[in-house]
Amino acid sequence: MIQVKNLSFSYTKQPFISDMSFSVSSGEIFGFLGPSGAGKSTLQKVLIGMLTTYQGSAIVNGVECRERTKNFYENIGVDFEFSTMYEKLTAKENLRFFSSLYEKKSRPIEQLLEKAGLEHDADKRVSDYSKGMKARLNFIKALLHDPLLLCLDEPTSGLDPTNSRVMKDMILEEKAKGKTILLTTHNMQDAAELCDRVAFIVGGKICALDSPHKLIMSKGATTVTYTWMENEEHSASCPLDCLSADEQLKRLIAENRLQSIHSSEPTLNDIFMDLTGRTLL
Amino acid sequence: MKAIRLSFWGMVTYLRRDMMLFAACLAPILVGFLFRFVIPLFEDALTDWFHVPTVISPYYGLIDILFAMLSPAMFGFVSVMVTLEENDEKTAKYLFITPLTKHGYLIARFGIPSVFALLVTVVLLPVFKLSPFPFSYIVLLAAGGTLQGIVIVLLILTLSSNKLEGMAVTKLSTLIMFGAAIPFFVKDNVQYVLSPLPSFWIGKAVFENSLFYMLPTFPLLFVWIWALLKQFLRKI
Repeated sequence: MIQVKNLSFSYTKQPFISDMSFSVSSGEIFGFLGPSGAGKSTLQKVLIGMLTTYQGSAIVNGVECRERTKNFYENIGVDFEFSTMYEKLTAKENLRFFSSLYEKKSRPIEQLLEKAGLEHDADKRVSDYSKGMKARLNFIKALLHDPLLLCLDEPTSGLDPTNSRVMKDMILEEKAKGKTILLTTHNMQDAAELCDRVAFIVGGKICALDSPHKLIMSKGATTVTYTWMENEEHSASCPLDCLSADEQLKRLIAENRLQSIHSSEPTLNDIFMDLTGRTLL
Repeated sequence: MKAIRLSFWGMVTYLRRDMMLFAACLAPILVGFLFRFVIPLFEDALTDWFHVPTVISPYYGLIDILFAMLSPAMFGFVSVMVTLEENDEKTAKYLFITPLTKHGYLIARFGIPSVFALLVTVVLLPVFKLSPFPFSYIVLLAAGGTLQGIVIVLLILTLSSNKLEGMAVTKLSTLIMFGAAIPFFVKDNVQYVLSPLPSFWIGKAVFENSLFYMLPTFPLLFVWIWALLKQFLRKI
């Protein structure tokens, strides 16, 4: 679906994205992770044809992005981080207008509104919507023309846990339909849960690219930390795969003296920090 | 083409929710009635009062020029306000990545309204004009006014980044229309200080009653449009 080869781009004389190469298969959820200003959004702008003065090659759905025509957009749906709705129009009017711009037959608007939990607010002006409602409406707008590629920029940003879950379920539902999804985020939990593969982007370069599971496993084993009382509270840690060799832990269990015990799996953020010395948050 | 057409009609539908912009579209007709029927009454009253043969009538040509520029300026103002609102709401950015594309967006917001303004001016100017212009003058005044309207639109869009700033910049930008008044009021060569303004040459042509003076108008308008369009495209 996407082939990027030796992609470089700069806003000034300084390179902003340099020599990036990767590919994304159809039906894959591919995440771009990185701190603000890393180049994630710029990369997304190149891939959706908003920036065309790049060097190298960026092919999306068989079309070189700088040579895109209006048909290019028939199969791309974009959900920006911010609302892109007419505030004075109702949700339904907005969806009707945007769907009319495509040659392809629109997905049923009522069905999409219902899926996003907005069916009772369909005739309400968007200016009266909450941030979470706007985010969900923005997302279903990207689905109207049933695109093959979805580009989602921080889709769960600012959502409460319930709405975040609704959004993630809708994303997974699109994946199940075979859609390719590009997810730009700095939310490591979302990336780990949703993405088949992630690319860490720092300073306009890809520092690592693999599945979240493989990246996490590359850090090493999960550690177990436990505490016990002996005049005062003490704590100790040991790798999960060496637990049976920890004599002190075995003794504490036998004497029933453990105060607490918990495991700590490395997160994508830990991996990111290890690789780049920076934090995602 | 479908996306351009629907986007243009989308803008027209949107206007119904904004009475200020809707009224701006009707302004050429209201002002036309005022110019055509109220100004001659004033002229009669003033000449009687001051016992002079003319007071306003030497400037009827100037009033006609301003009327020729009015429809493009008003339709341009409406398009600019919608565009700035779309910019504030970030809908313009989204429309660029639909089959409408950036190119189609510019046609829907500025190309079609400009053609519409040209047609309206060609129809209304013969009805409301105060001077006995031949048809060639009417067509040239309408074309000059339309291109002048595009210059005003691009000036506002280049100098402002939101609707509020746009309102303020509109007042400033429309001042370039008043270059047309200079040949009527400044008689010596100092008038040429404002010759880079296309409207100056439109005023000069009407004042001197010679189409020869229209010659610099269109190249000047294209230079203004080219320079401003370059700035605007860089901005979006």
